[in-house]
Amino acid sequence: MNAQLEISHIDMVFDTPKGPFTALKGVDLKIAKGEFISLIGHSGCGKSTVLNVVAGLYQASKGGVVLNGREVTAPGPERAVVFQNHSLLPWLTAYQNVELAVDQVFGRRKSKQEKKQWIEHNLELVHMDHALHKRPDEISGGMKQRVGIARALAMQPEILLMDEPFGALDALTRAHMQDTLMEIQQELNNTVIMITHDVDEAVLLSDRIVMMTNGPEATIGEILDIDLERPRDRVQMANDAEYVRLRTEVLKFLYEKQRKVEPLVAKKKKQQEGKKAKVA
Amino acid sequence: MSATTSLSNDYSESNVAMLKAVFNGGLKLLLAPLAGIGLFLLLWSSAATSINTSLGQFPGPAAVWEQIHSLYQEHREERVKEGAFYERQEKRNAARQAKDPDYVVRIRAYTGKETYLDQIITSLVTVMSGFILAVVIAVPLGITIGLSKTLNSAINPVIQIFKPVSPLAWLPLVTMVVSSVYVSNDQLVAKSLLNSMITVTLCCLWPMVINTSLGVRSVEKDLINVSQVLNLSAFTHIKKIVLPSAIPMIFTGMRLSFGVAWMVLIAAEMLAQNPGLGKFVWDEFQNGSSNSLARIMVAVLTIGLIGFLLDRSMLKLQQWVSWNKTANS
Amino acid sequence: MKWLKSLAVKTLVGISSLSAAVSHAELGYPEKEELRIGFIKLTDMAPIAIAYEKGFFEDEGLYVTIEAQANWKVLLDGVIDGRLDGAHMLAGQPIAASMGYGTKADIITPFSMDLNGNGITVSNEIWKQMKPNIPKQADGKLQHPIKADALKSVVTKYREEGKPFNMGMVFPVSTHNYELRYWLAAGGIHPGFYAPHKGDTSGHIDADALLSVTPPPQMPSTMEAGTIYGYCVGEPWNQQAVFKNIGVPVVTDYEIWKNNPEKVFGITKQFARKYPNTTVRLTRALIRAARWLDANNNNNRPEAVKILSQSNYVGADYDVIANSMTGTFEYEKGDKRSVPDFNVFFRYNATYPYYSDAIWYLTQMRRWGQISEDKPDSWYLETAKKVYRPDIYRLAAESLISEKLIKAEEFPDFTTEDGFRAPQTHFIDGLVYNGKSPNAYINKFSIGLKQGDRI
Repeated sequence: MNAQLEISHIDMVFDTPKGPFTALKGVDLKIAKGEFISLIGHSGCGKSTVLNVVAGLYQASKGGVVLNGREVTAPGPERAVVFQNHSLLPWLTAYQNVELAVDQVFGRRKSKQEKKQWIEHNLELVHMDHALHKRPDEISGGMKQRVGIARALAMQPEILLMDEPFGALDALTRAHMQDTLMEIQQELNNTVIMITHDVDEAVLLSDRIVMMTNGPEATIGEILDIDLERPRDRVQMANDAEYVRLRTEVLKFLYEKQRKVEPLVAKKKKQQEGKKAKVA
Repeated sequence: MSATTSLSNDYSESNVAMLKAVFNGGLKLLLAPLAGIGLFLLLWSSAATSINTSLGQFPGPAAVWEQIHSLYQEHREERVKEGAFYERQEKRNAARQAKDPDYVVRIRAYTGKETYLDQIITSLVTVMSGFILAVVIAVPLGITIGLSKTLNSAINPVIQIFKPVSPLAWLPLVTMVVSSVYVSNDQLVAKSLLNSMITVTLCCLWPMVINTSLGVRSVEKDLINVSQVLNLSAFTHIKKIVLPSAIPMIFTGMRLSFGVAWMVLIAAEMLAQNPGLGKFVWDEFQNGSSNSLARIMVAVLTIGLIGFLLDRSMLKLQQWVSWNKTANS
Repeated sequence: MKWLKSLAVKTLVGISSLSAAVSHAELGYPEKEELRIGFIKLTDMAPIAIAYEKGFFEDEGLYVTIEAQANWKVLLDGVIDGRLDGAHMLAGQPIAASMGYGTKADIITPFSMDLNGNGITVSNEIWKQMKPNIPKQADGKLQHPIKADALKSVVTKYREEGKPFNMGMVFPVSTHNYELRYWLAAGGIHPGFYAPHKGDTSGHIDADALLSVTPPPQMPSTMEAGTIYGYCVGEPWNQQAVFKNIGVPVVTDYEIWKNNPEKVFGITKQFARKYPNTTVRLTRALIRAARWLDANNNNNRPEAVKILSQSNYVGADYDVIANSMTGTFEYEKGDKRSVPDFNVFFRYNATYPYYSDAIWYLTQMRRWGQISEDKPDSWYLETAKKVYRPDIYRLAAESLISEKLIKAEEFPDFTTEDGFRAPQTHFIDGLVYNGKSPNAYINKFSIGLKQGDRI
């Protein structure tokens, strides 16, 4: 496999008031161009840490990230991030939020007119062309997330990093967003790394599912190849035997091999964490 | 026919109802403050009649109103005198030029007394310029401190020590420093004005620096991540991310210090005899004429009203500048 | 005949002071036209207000801004640091400044502003206690001048009760300080010595009555608050006490020392050197204003009072200012007596800066220890000559005479004038002052330092 992105033996140790905490230990992964990777695992297993290291927002304590044969140590627009809670600038409209990214990435390489078209094109991709000049507080959560994706796409990134992009959305919106994402990825052939808690989402979207063990010292437990044909249709998939098998594999990993604590408590805890994430 | 009547009746009824609603709403909106003011005036005038000072009875609303009128009258008269002053000056200059052709005519500014309106303007100009100077210093400083943890811990102790100092304590130092440093023959700004202005600046500086740096520090982590992923330059980062998110806090600091600055300015003017409303109050107190108390009361009301308007306009400015329109009093 | 004589004198003057005559003929335009003049809210600032309002400053091509000052110290500092070009000053201020008592600076005075004008006021409470001690006239009215003898038993009583007897005056080197001291000492009450060489500038050594500084306009309110029992101050702050019913003026300085010199107009020596024409022109405007104030038997006074009652000048009520300015003085409420010379601005050569006036202040400074060392008589004259500048006055006066604005006989006879008034006799204690022998004068006082004394 010809790796575009290489996550090479990463350790991540955080300094906490109680002493050093090893979040990741020996995470190692090669990703080819155009591949769609899902990171799945229980809360607190370090999925976001991996993503942040790839984004360059964190520095790995050991090991490193190599993109196209060059090590990356700082964030950059070629690795666009779609944040968990959209992270739009609340004082800018949808258009202006995307514009900020486009101005930054393309600078003078595109004319004013070209930039305008490009911004509008990306907002069209996520079906947001009807609300170009609305500010984040004037649109719904799903729409905000779509603007966030449009912003990331507009940067023409080599790698698209997505941290639970649809986590906060209702089921219908989420399904719609997933379909949109599949279409776009099909069209643009971006490399995507996506964190998710949703097993169906992982199976439906991914080429490979990277399953992580529980922390501390979390690492990659298993990698599951998803050889389902594309384009994939969620309704057909529901009865597809291979799909069901893959889904069961993931569930087994999560709830048998890596079962965290007592199921009830775990559930409760997960809820709390979900809340915390929203608050943050 | 009947249909149209009933229709128009409906219409007019709903119209009346709407009017009533508006009236009731408006009444409620206006009635309470009006009643409050009315009650205050009543209490004031009844209290005034029972307070006797060595300068006569404490002025009631009527006496104050009379002095407002007389102050305005004085202002008008002074303007007439000013016109005459310039006329005389022109004649004198012309006469001198006739005798002494080399003489370069210079028009000398009016030397008469500052009227009450002039003094209001002087105070306003002083507080504004002092405030703007403070903004020019405090906002960049606050941003720098907010962005750099090291700088913050270096400068913070200094700020914390100076913050609780009444700017009036600085006044003597400011006066001495200004008179020794600010020496030019052709003084564009009077020293006394500069003194009050710097006092105002000192008063505004600390709360503004603190609030600005706090606002800068409280920028959401996610937005900082966005900025990093986009590789925004320091300048764009400040302009697009830091400033907009810090603006509510910056304005809170500004409004806070503006209110205090206005109060301090009046005190400084009284203390240092620098021109402005404070000097007016002090002069009237010293004059001890039978009108003095009423005139001081006029000044008290003016100071209050201007303070209120300044705060309102800061709020409007904040709402205009800030993306977050929910800022309120 | 008289005019003939004056003409002869004038011709003589013209010949003998040819240089002066030439210089006034050539009196040039002012070098500095925009001036700032400071004053304290007292009626004796009148010449400045009148020179402005009557256009005398403008006639000289001077554009003057007049500014009230918070207190005498601020005013003096203003002149020294150049914020003010000149100011209404206590006669003692330029003298003390040139001696270095307080702030050291070369202040000169080309113009004396007035004679008399001060009074001593005590609170109602003190008045109640001292009134029985005052002898009455045949008509039942109290006999004036009231002497401090009447106060002495009150002060003694307070001292025995352990209460300090505090009184206010306006500045350590003010006329008021010396007048209050003179009056108290003449009645056997010791006002205390200064000892600057020991760092003691409170003036409380050996004192029966403790004097402290209060700015003039705050005198009535400070007495009302009970901080002081009495004060010595210029007008209108004595009459204000009567109007406010908070105190009773007991004596005017006219009664302590008839026609005593009061305020002066002070400028820095550098100012006079740098702007000679401006200095002479300022003096001319002030002389004309002073003359206007006294003209036609004080006929202009009501108009002057109206001007002074404006809030930017003295600002007190017309009636309060008029009381003293129009030749009457109200002592105890209702006891209004005529004092036509209470404020003299021009008569009796009031504006001429006599050396002997300066020397009197020096004798009092020595008497109370502000000058801690013995000085020879010659030192007194030298010091006076450094500060008082009749030469500038003379230039101004002669140019006014030659322009026929004022007649020569309204001025001292400059040909014979030596800067000394004839020995003055009208003091409350009956002593005679001769400015030519200051040390002999100092030795006459029963309370006070004498030649050879040192604290």
